[in-house]
Amino acid sequence: MKISYRWLARHVDLSGTSAVDIARELTLSTAEVEGVERFLPHLCDVTVGHVVQREKHPDADKLSLCRVDVGQGEPLQIVCGAPNVRAGLKVVVATAGTTLPGDFKIKKSKIRGVESNGMICSERELGLGVEHDGIWELGENLTVGARLGAALGLEDWVIEIDNKSVTHRPDLWGHRGIAAELAAILRRPLLPLDLTLPSTGGGASVGVRIESDACSRYLALRVEGARATRSPLWLKSLLLAVGQRPIDLLVDLSNFVMLDLGQPNHLFDARRIGPQGIVVRKARAGETLKTLDEVERKLEASDLLICNGDEPVALAGIMGGEGSKVTDDTAQLVLEVAAFHAPTVRRTSARLGLRTDASARFEKTLDPELVPLAAAHLVRLLQAEQPAVKLTAPATDVGQWTSAAKTIRLRGERVRMLLGADLDDAAITDILVRLGFGVAKDGAGLAVRVPSIRGTKDISIEQDLVEEVGRIYRYGNIPEIPLAGILVPPPRDERRRLVRRIEDRLAGSARFHQQISYSFVPDSTIEKLALQSTPHVEVANPITEGASRVRRSVVVSLLPLLEPNRRRAAEVRLFEVGKGYEPVSAAEPTERHEVALALARPARKANARFDDTSLALLQGVVEDLVRSLGLEACSWSRCEAAPSWAHPGRAAALRIGARDALVGEVAAIEPGLARELGLAGEVESDVALARVSIDALLDAAPRARRYSPLPQFPSTRVDVALALPVERSAAEVMAALERCGKGLVRGLELFDVFSGERIGEGRRSLAWHVTLSAPDRTLNEADVKKFLERVEREAVQLGGELRGE
Amino acid sequence: MTHDAASVRALLGEILAALASASESDETRSLRERLERFVAHSDDALTSAVLLEASAAPLGAMRVFPKEARGLVGAKANAIKQAALAALAEEEQAALARALAAERSHAGFDATLPPPRQACGSLHPITQVTRELEDLFTSMGWTILDGPEVETEHFNFDALNISPDHPARDTMDTFWVRTAPGDTRLVMRTHTSPVQVRAMRRLQPPFRAIVPGKVFRNEALDASHEHTFHQMEGLVVGQHVSVGHLIAAMKTLLRGIFGREIEIRLRPGYFPFVEPGFELDARCPFCTEGCSVCKRSTWIELLPCGMVHPNVLKAGGIDPEQWTGFAFGLGLSRLVMLRFGIDDVRHLLAGDVRFLEQF
Ligand SMILES: [Zn+2]
Repeated sequence: MKISYRWLARHVDLSGTSAVDIARELTLSTAEVEGVERFLPHLCDVTVGHVVQREKHPDADKLSLCRVDVGQGEPLQIVCGAPNVRAGLKVVVATAGTTLPGDFKIKKSKIRGVESNGMICSERELGLGVEHDGIWELGENLTVGARLGAALGLEDWVIEIDNKSVTHRPDLWGHRGIAAELAAILRRPLLPLDLTLPSTGGGASVGVRIESDACSRYLALRVEGARATRSPLWLKSLLLAVGQRPIDLLVDLSNFVMLDLGQPNHLFDARRIGPQGIVVRKARAGETLKTLDEVERKLEASDLLICNGDEPVALAGIMGGEGSKVTDDTAQLVLEVAAFHAPTVRRTSARLGLRTDASARFEKTLDPELVPLAAAHLVRLLQAEQPAVKLTAPATDVGQWTSAAKTIRLRGERVRMLLGADLDDAAITDILVRLGFGVAKDGAGLAVRVPSIRGTKDISIEQDLVEEVGRIYRYGNIPEIPLAGILVPPPRDERRRLVRRIEDRLAGSARFHQQISYSFVPDSTIEKLALQSTPHVEVANPITEGASRVRRSVVVSLLPLLEPNRRRAAEVRLFEVGKGYEPVSAAEPTERHEVALALARPARKANARFDDTSLALLQGVVEDLVRSLGLEACSWSRCEAAPSWAHPGRAAALRIGARDALVGEVAAIEPGLARELGLAGEVESDVALARVSIDALLDAAPRARRYSPLPQFPSTRVDVALALPVERSAAEVMAALERCGKGLVRGLELFDVFSGERIGEGRRSLAWHVTLSAPDRTLNEADVKKFLERVEREAVQLGGELRGE
Repeated sequence: MTHDAASVRALLGEILAALASASESDETRSLRERLERFVAHSDDALTSAVLLEASAAPLGAMRVFPKEARGLVGAKANAIKQAALAALAEEEQAALARALAAERSHAGFDATLPPPRQACGSLHPITQVTRELEDLFTSMGWTILDGPEVETEHFNFDALNISPDHPARDTMDTFWVRTAPGDTRLVMRTHTSPVQVRAMRRLQPPFRAIVPGKVFRNEALDASHEHTFHQMEGLVVGQHVSVGHLIAAMKTLLRGIFGREIEIRLRPGYFPFVEPGFELDARCPFCTEGCSVCKRSTWIELLPCGMVHPNVLKAGGIDPEQWTGFAFGLGLSRLVMLRFGIDDVRHLLAGDVRFLEQF
């Protein structure tokens, strides 16, 4: 919102206070100022000139050759094309070196062979109007050589206020409201303004019927004898300063009142309001109205309409209708000033994408008591410009509104405690009175009378008044007070501790990069995972079509990142700690805390070691991770219910503890999904994915950590290779080897896996380094021999054999 | 006396002469011949001396020498042995010195030759900054809380004194979750503030808590706007908690973030769940006269804060007459951008390893 410094000065004495000062004061006490700019800075560069002589240009019929006195030395020779230039006229001269709007630089030049030392300007060339009917004829009393801005009092600054910082203050949506704040801050009086309605004739008033409670007050007033003439300079320049384009006196004054008091209003051509009078009602579905911007608007039952009888003539609080607008030949007006239900206006305006200065104000819940004041203001301003304007009939002022004025009890003690500032009751009273509140003693406290204009929205409880006092007192004057009290260590947050250890492990020794993703999953990913029919938490209004679903598992967030990153690097290692959501009917969704991991590497080479696969590596990462957390023992098993991203046959489940609780899954990527994700062909990749449930890890019991004595006797290493049917899992083999060791096995390390002709159809060989040791003696060859014999028997029992060296 | 090769050789000559002059037995002849072969075949007298020592056993058999020669032979042999060992030690010392000198020579080393490296992992910058703040606050006795990203309308709006008609509830700002009519209405939380009321219901005042987390706004994406970003809520509830306490806590927070005293200012700001509400500006830590970060104003709008609204305390089951509190909402994503000089918020969640590996 733009605020004009000169406009503010109509309401409060600003002498000795610059626009920048005001911006700072407002920022610290009232609202956020986004910037201060000079209004039409060139007005202070152009000067008042006197045309002392005018001749025809020797070579051009339509040009004049003028000699213009600009108060400095000899009169300047200036070529002018305007038809109204003549000797004796006071004009505006832009001399060489001046820059006019549109970055138009005035230079000495030759026009048709004659030297011209500047330009005689029109109002439009100065940015002060749209008319282009010749040069601006200034008043004769102006001093030659004076700067125009100073001579006409047009010097102004525009203060831009952040609208968002005043959404709760409907009273600040007009210059008088801002001026009232400044009056309080600067300890200067708010200048009086006569807002009583001039006397009216006894004619027939406009009939008004309100049929919706979305309109609490409606004032209609016949105004006769007004003409849509050109606005005077004072009005045009103020409107221009705040970014409004002057149109004609009627439109401009209507806008001026809105921008002055914050109360929108509307002028109808009285010829368009028939004998049935005005009806305020909700729209009927399917109804339409062509608004002033010549757009046909489709209405809904929630929209509020102003109607001529039954015919819509305006969209209440937003925009008038094209059919009832004031035109050049309008002589009789109906002035509307009303109070509308803020959310109704906001919703209609938002739905239609039609935000106007009026709707922006009505959205803020305006004070219904402003209605007659704004009507009076408009009439008085109009009569000042056009004394012939008459009010032939009394105003119709109907509706059911309640004044928002109220009295709130305020305890000085409460102010001092909440602000932490040492303000006595007198100081508190002083501030509130400056702000326009009425203050009276009320026992040990104060009874504060809140005027209606502050009571609609902003001020309703004691604490609101504490803010009023604090902001005028200035928060910067409040001393800092360190938080005191007994410092109790906060309860241990086990999940956060666990998450930190996981993050540190993965970003540290596991060398994964941590990613944080959007919680929304694109439909394209959902489709690739064939999860369209799986219920998801879904937003009704996604940012873009096809991004409405919230992830159930964090793993899906990593999927779209694999291909682009793999194009840039051979190996991609990503992890994410986050939440997944599963919808629950008629309740809050189930929240899951998870770690997702993704490892993508170039496709595996034929001669690679048996465990040189992304899947094996990622299993190792996950197992190391879980082991590092110091929890119960965990074990791998084939994953029976593979997630949609997992290769159905190459998926492992990790379980933990005595209850065998599922911790997560590690799997090769589902091959079809890999192709869909572009991980085949050019960037063919060996991809493994993992999901680890933080919730499950939190549920797992910690492992008792106890020291075990260091071995006293050396250990022996034996290598064994067992050729077994492929159905025999490594877990079975390990268990068998443990059995064979009869308590002597200290370590088992798989070092080779192979199959082929030598091993036989349907069989594979697992080769192990076995470390044997006893706590009480050094093992000898006989011990090893016995172990190998037992292994041989076990191998046969398992359907295979111990392979020779 | 130095025992170089020549003096050892001279001593050997003497002993050979002594052996020759003695009445020669078989053993002394064989000994003499062996020694002569050493001298003849070895250029290196030291080697000979060592071999001589190695054959000390025959020397010990002095009885092969005539009585009168034994003393001389024994003495000479011992002298040779000592001289040879000393010479050997010296030579070893010299050789070691030469070897070390050669090893210490820096010729051929290029310190700038890139070493073989293992790629590192990384913690997300948001994680890093969040942890710093968590550590700072926990060290001052604050609790860290978590809350759901899919939140009920009640906690996200109603309990926070945001009226049913408040524009923030519009679909323009809020992602509404599809729910069946009559079911609990859900939103993607628009701020971390709902955890304020959840905290009040869980913890007994007095307490201090922070809530880092992900929040969502229905906003179009550009370099400075994201529909998903990170915030950190702070909440203190206690007896006689005032604006003065808020100011002190915010200064401590900024000292923690920037590592030095930062001037702040509070100015009015409106948020329905605080009263009075403030915008906290920090003196731009990057300039003294205005820069692009502070938009030439020397102030950076850093965080909204305020005194907890009595209605919010009531919603949390806390008596506003007995307890007061303050709250703040720090834009973590923005702080991360400030800290690392990231110019486009969209990098934060994009998952480009070239971005992630920088941290
Ligand atoms: Zn700066």
